[in-house]
Amino acid sequence: MVDTVVQNLISGSLMGCIYALIALGLSVIYGVMNVVNFAHGDFVMLSMYFTFWASTWLGIDAVGTPLFTFPLLFFIGLLTYYAIVDRTLRQHYVTQIAVTVGLQLFLRAFAQIAWHAQPRALSYSLIQGRIEIGNYTIILSRLISAVVSVLAIMAVYFFMNKTWPGRAMRAASDDLDAASLVGVNQRRTYAIAFGLGSALTAIAGGLLMTFQQVDPTMGVRFGLLSWCVLALAGLGSIPGMLVTGVIVGAAEALSMALWDPRARSLVVYLIFILVLWLRPRGLFGRK
Amino acid sequence: MSKPILQISNLTKTFGNLVAVNDVSLNIQEEEIVGLIGPNGAGKTTLFNAITGLYKPDSGQALFKGTDVIGLLPHKICRLGMSRTFQVTQAFNNMTVEDAVRVGAYNRCSEKEVQAQVDEMLAFFDLAKVREQMCSDLGLALLRRVELARAMATQPELLLLDEAGAGLTAVELDELMDMLRRLNQERHVTLCVVEHVMRMVMGLCARIFVLDSGELIAQGQPAQISDNPKVIEAYLGKRALR
Amino acid sequence: MKPKKLSVGMVSLLVGLAVALVVPLIIGSNQYNMVLVTTVLLYGVMATAWNVIGGMAGQMDLAAGAYLGLGAFTVGTLLIKWNISPWIGMILGGLVATGFAALVGYPLFRFGVTEVWYALSSSALVEVLRVLFLLWEDVGGPVEKYLPFHKWSLYHLRFSSYVPYYYIMLGLLLIALYANHRIARSKLGYYLLALGENEDAAEVLGVDARACKIKALMIYAFIVGVTGGVYACLYGFIHPNFFDGLQSTEVAILGIVGGMGITYGPLVAAILLVSGREFLRSNLSGQLESLYLAVYAAVLIVIALFKPRGIATLLQDAYKQILSRIQRDKNVQADTTNF
Repeated sequence: MVDTVVQNLISGSLMGCIYALIALGLSVIYGVMNVVNFAHGDFVMLSMYFTFWASTWLGIDAVGTPLFTFPLLFFIGLLTYYAIVDRTLRQHYVTQIAVTVGLQLFLRAFAQIAWHAQPRALSYSLIQGRIEIGNYTIILSRLISAVVSVLAIMAVYFFMNKTWPGRAMRAASDDLDAASLVGVNQRRTYAIAFGLGSALTAIAGGLLMTFQQVDPTMGVRFGLLSWCVLALAGLGSIPGMLVTGVIVGAAEALSMALWDPRARSLVVYLIFILVLWLRPRGLFGRK
Repeated sequence: MSKPILQISNLTKTFGNLVAVNDVSLNIQEEEIVGLIGPNGAGKTTLFNAITGLYKPDSGQALFKGTDVIGLLPHKICRLGMSRTFQVTQAFNNMTVEDAVRVGAYNRCSEKEVQAQVDEMLAFFDLAKVREQMCSDLGLALLRRVELARAMATQPELLLLDEAGAGLTAVELDELMDMLRRLNQERHVTLCVVEHVMRMVMGLCARIFVLDSGELIAQGQPAQISDNPKVIEAYLGKRALR
Repeated sequence: MKPKKLSVGMVSLLVGLAVALVVPLIIGSNQYNMVLVTTVLLYGVMATAWNVIGGMAGQMDLAAGAYLGLGAFTVGTLLIKWNISPWIGMILGGLVATGFAALVGYPLFRFGVTEVWYALSSSALVEVLRVLFLLWEDVGGPVEKYLPFHKWSLYHLRFSSYVPYYYIMLGLLLIALYANHRIARSKLGYYLLALGENEDAAEVLGVDARACKIKALMIYAFIVGVTGGVYACLYGFIHPNFFDGLQSTEVAILGIVGGMGITYGPLVAAILLVSGREFLRSNLSGQLESLYLAVYAAVLIVIALFKPRGIATLLQDAYKQILSRIQRDKNVQADTTNF
């Protein structure tokens, strides 16, 4: 029993690092421009499919695909911002929701057309294999995915705090007028933030494909997972997101092992609802 | 002698390190018209917000007709009989004038009585001609009147006005002051006006309270206040005293 | 002005009702078309009920599926286990849904969960119920629980044709429309409108924000719950997938795109969009089967971007234009006859 718990804690926590990365993408967008991208989870799904394409057609291993998918998703993010999101900024938040939900439906339909609603998986990756430590097994692809996720999160942290575009984004999220006065171009900053947030899903997508398959309906799951991680963490703390990502991943894995495999989303959603009710600021939130 | 309708004791409200309202105590008698003045940032609106349920003060009491309203939700305070208008007009943009007033009227009226109350308020505030217009289409003076009508429709005993005179022309100001006097005399409503427009304060109020940096620095009749050195200093700085 | 508006509204309602009543007589034999119009009515009811919480109370509720499912399971379980008629079951289903709404609404509104977070948490709620009923094998479980089969039983609300269900849905739609109509003219309606415009201002005017929102939520939940009961009979079984997050979101979208706060807005959206979608679906089958969904989604985005106040406002604007043109013509006539 203890073994099961520890085993699941390990694998869940590793998974949680990837969740944190996805949530980070979401938080960049929400934090900077207060936009709720309901289609964020579907961007992950899209990245996973693109990874599949890149791997199958270009023969690149999954670990190399982000080289292509990152800029691709960045571009798609920019496009989405300029075409759709920009217009909704001055309007009621409801329009934002309607538009991003429409996007969600659209992406799902697109995936179903392009890949025929069949789950796709990669047959091989460089990082196969497993490590045994005592009674516990760690799947190598999950471990490396977790490590890469953490590195990516650290890179974003560095970007947001030490580089001009990153600080421009943070300034814009704090006080847009003041930021514009010091030379921050609102639309461009927002667009880049949206692009960046979306591009991060490309990394996560690539990593996920090394040990998972993808189908068009997965977007919902990743979407709600990242919202949960974000809510639990609160806005303003990137390391905090890593912590809550791990918590959510571990909780998911434990509930699957100890209760029922079908309950995987249940615990996550319950955490989400409880956080919103009882501690909307999140565990590490600023506001 | 009339009784106090509002008794504020030792009210303090801080925002982090900023003490917005510092241990303020004051009484307002029934059917008085009092003024609350002070330089910008003195804490006047914060005081209003603290006693109408929009802020929770750190400490202190505010007895309205004997009931402590600190900690009560805004709608409960309105039910008790205290209403207010806002500094920045909080209009119901996509509603007609009549509908906006109706919202206030439902506070005390049943479905049967509500239309009569609405009609009465529109007549009193001379809004009958614009009753079908959207609030977003109105100019400032009319909007102020709508906000006033809306608040009065709740049939309060104490009405707090936050800078109702700001931005009005001399004629509009006279009309406003006239309406307020009538409210006070005909309908026995106690008024407390936060104002920067001195003409309105001096012309309307029996007593004036002066706030500066969150503290009550003076209170008294208009003539006393305008001569009070502390008040002059607060507004114009020490130099003005020389 | 007022009596005129009422009569135009009344006239179009009566015309619409007359058309709706004869539709099955025209296409009743075509089962596929009957399914289509019944589905349109189903979404019409849910979206119109949604208008109370979404359009009037301004809360982005994405949990219609929760109330639909609760209603369905109440009716289904009562019927299967104790042979209680769905006529009673639906009312109970409505009450169960209402109770759940109150349970959930109280903390939501007490803790000030608003806007986007309300939308997300309501979405999560549907999923939670789905999984709970999936795990609750006695009442739900992964396998469909079939309602007892009857070729034509009014007691069991089971018919072999869609026509009776169509009329029942129509009845529910009328109830939902009437509820909207009554609320809009009542104290609750004005209070909700004010809350949506400016919550702070409304509260100092005596509006109890929490109580109003919960009332709106409960009314909406009741109607959808009752509809859920009919839904179960329509499908002939109950299954946890009735707690459908996607469908719930669609209901909200219809409400938004139709025109939030306008009574007939969601209905217009349901009629246009749902039938449009089904029409596309049947005509674009084959390889590009999901193309209909992509087109549907694109249309939604376009409407949301360019007509954010809803399709119904197009109709309202058109109506106003016609009115002003008539007025102008009258004025011209009056001027010329003055000579």
